[in-house]
Amino acid sequence: MGIVLEKLPGVAKGLPGGEMLLTTAETIIDWGRKSSVWPMTFGLACCAIEMMASYASRFDFDRMGVIPRPSPRQADVMIIAGTVVKKMADPIIKIYHQMPEPRFVISMGSCANCGGPYWDSYSVVKGVDKIIPVDVYIAGCPPRPESLQFAVLKLQEKMMKMKLSATHGAAPQQEKGSREIAAE
Amino acid sequence: MTETTTASPVEYLKTDELFVNLGPQHPSTHGVLRVGLTIKGEVITKAVPDVGYLHRGTEKLAEVRGYHHCVVLTDRWDYVSAMPNNLVFCLAAEKIMNLQVPERAQYLRTIMCEMNRIASHLLFFGTYGIDIGAFTPFLYAFREREMVLDLFEMLCGARLTYNYIRLGGVMMDTPPEWIDKTKEFLDYFKPRLDEYDTLLTYNPIFMDRTQTVGLIPKDTAIAWGLSGPNLRGSGVNYDARVFEPYAAYDKVKFDVPVGKTGSCWDRYFCRVAEMRQSVSIVEQCLKLMQPGDFAAKGVAKVPKPPPGESYAHVEGSRGNLGIYLVSDGGQSPFRLHVRAPSFINLAILQDMLVGQKMADVIAILGSIDIVLGEVDR
Amino acid sequence: MTAEELYAKFAAQFPKVQKASVEVKGSPAYATLRLNSPAELEPVIEWLKGLGFTYLDIVTATDYKGPIDVKGFVMDPNPNAFLPEGATPQIEAPTATPNYPYREAFELEYCLTYLEEKIKVFLKLDVPRDGGKVPSLVKHFPAADWQERETLDLYGIGFEGHPNPTKILTPDFIKGYPLRKDYVHTPDQFD
Repeated sequence: MGIVLEKLPGVAKGLPGGEMLLTTAETIIDWGRKSSVWPMTFGLACCAIEMMASYASRFDFDRMGVIPRPSPRQADVMIIAGTVVKKMADPIIKIYHQMPEPRFVISMGSCANCGGPYWDSYSVVKGVDKIIPVDVYIAGCPPRPESLQFAVLKLQEKMMKMKLSATHGAAPQQEKGSREIAAE
Repeated sequence: MTETTTASPVEYLKTDELFVNLGPQHPSTHGVLRVGLTIKGEVITKAVPDVGYLHRGTEKLAEVRGYHHCVVLTDRWDYVSAMPNNLVFCLAAEKIMNLQVPERAQYLRTIMCEMNRIASHLLFFGTYGIDIGAFTPFLYAFREREMVLDLFEMLCGARLTYNYIRLGGVMMDTPPEWIDKTKEFLDYFKPRLDEYDTLLTYNPIFMDRTQTVGLIPKDTAIAWGLSGPNLRGSGVNYDARVFEPYAAYDKVKFDVPVGKTGSCWDRYFCRVAEMRQSVSIVEQCLKLMQPGDFAAKGVAKVPKPPPGESYAHVEGSRGNLGIYLVSDGGQSPFRLHVRAPSFINLAILQDMLVGQKMADVIAILGSIDIVLGEVDR
Repeated sequence: MTAEELYAKFAAQFPKVQKASVEVKGSPAYATLRLNSPAELEPVIEWLKGLGFTYLDIVTATDYKGPIDVKGFVMDPNPNAFLPEGATPQIEAPTATPNYPYREAFELEYCLTYLEEKIKVFLKLDVPRDGGKVPSLVKHFPAADWQERETLDLYGIGFEGHPNPTKILTPDFIKGYPLRKDYVHTPDQFD
């Protein structure tokens, strides 16, 4: 199967012969989800160039299972890479609602976090969390590709904490955006 | 006898006009550009570009920022090549303030602009490959682009938004080993340009795909005010580095590559050829540069230039980037207008796409090489 | 051709068009002229185009009303709020400069380039702040199309004869013209 058992927490030891694997449904679903974080290919501003750099040769995002998808219907995570201006706010909300549940949002860079250098501009939304919930914030103007990769690692941590609840499927712990990842 | 249809197959296949919305989050629009296309069959009958999805109000913000703060805002217009943006604002402000820039700073400015041009055209090379359907050039281009960015990082600590060129000079002198590393990179980079030519430029499939689409005749290009490789691809030799030499461009020798027909391939070729010239300019500057001051002495922390107006323009990576600056004697610019080359280059799209095939839209759009941060500012 | 020769040609052709009192600094090859009324614009442009100024560089405007109103920003635009306590303030609130000739008018700026002769000419034209109208240059230079729309969007200056006089940069719900000095920002659903 090619699964590294040590990387799969909560797994009972493989039975003699190694043909069977016992785990909880939660763990295996979360593990599968975190190993294929597919972001939506869409960049807004400067940070998009750093996002492209993370996909490219040196930083090689593929090794984390991050493969960009051009359609929101196939994407798990939306990387808000750049300034969100008021004219773009509606399309972003529309794209967000096109993504299937559970969906995640990474806010990349100061502009998407809080407006950044445009904190007083008449035309900029002061933080993308005013319009959609955000899971991970990255600081920087623009953040380095390593920061984006760290954000994905943080998101994977969060995914591993997701519970199968009374709702259908695994629901994110935080429905509404908040400034921090849920504590342990 | 049963009734049969009398329509000919051509009549039967006739289609209505169809509206296709491209963007604003389409992966191939290089940002947040939206184009409303009306197509009949495969042919475009109307194209309406819709911009403003990245309008950040920089021109308004500059009216309450100090002159040093404005340099920070300039970085984020053309974020792929921020050095010429820094430079053009500093040139305009220096003209109002009558600041003299030391010679070493002039050379450093020239070197940085040309290195940034290489990084910017590499990004174009990579993404244009993707637009056309070749993914490999992207990986090669980013390999080299990262090396340029490493050099910038060593110089000023930033990979994209440098804020390196400041009023009266530059932020700081080069670190001791920077010049050797740059020479090393240039030696590494020159053979790579030949690799690119064999990979993409003279690739027969690529040439067939791009040489016949998106033709811009000379007169049209001038009338629409195109600049940069888009204008020179049509055969007009207009380059601000020659037209009105700034920084140290009057001390170096270089050619301005000019295309013939104004096709997508010509515009692409001008950019690839410019990279060779940039390498040559950087090499000459490194040879000519003497130790000295890197910034003028006595630049005020809160400059208050005398009332007046100035205009400066440089050859940015995307075209003729100009700044019209008005000062009323206060601590902020009274008016800062940007002649954004991407904005003016993009306007031709509404005229140029009509009559083209739907499949060529992305090839044409990619060859204009816009950066949305500069289009909307 | 030098700027002086161009001024001489202008004096012969259009005696009313004067050299502007404030010249655009930058290069000896920049000529700055002031037009007296919008009616003069088209003949001057046509004449210049015939002379060889075939490249339109910029179309823009400046509001000379006075210092900028900080109510045009969503928050107080003063960056001193971000400084640590006790630090020297970096920049003051915008104030009027004494003796600067502010006036109740927009000034339109046009810049044309003669590519072969390496000379640029700047044309200035005052229009009133309320209901100012100027002829559109789109039929002479297609390059004016988007730049005039931008000026219309940000300043509210009407261009007569423009084929598509609509907003270009700001969204529909932003009321007013943001680059006017007296623009007051109305909070919308995103503020």
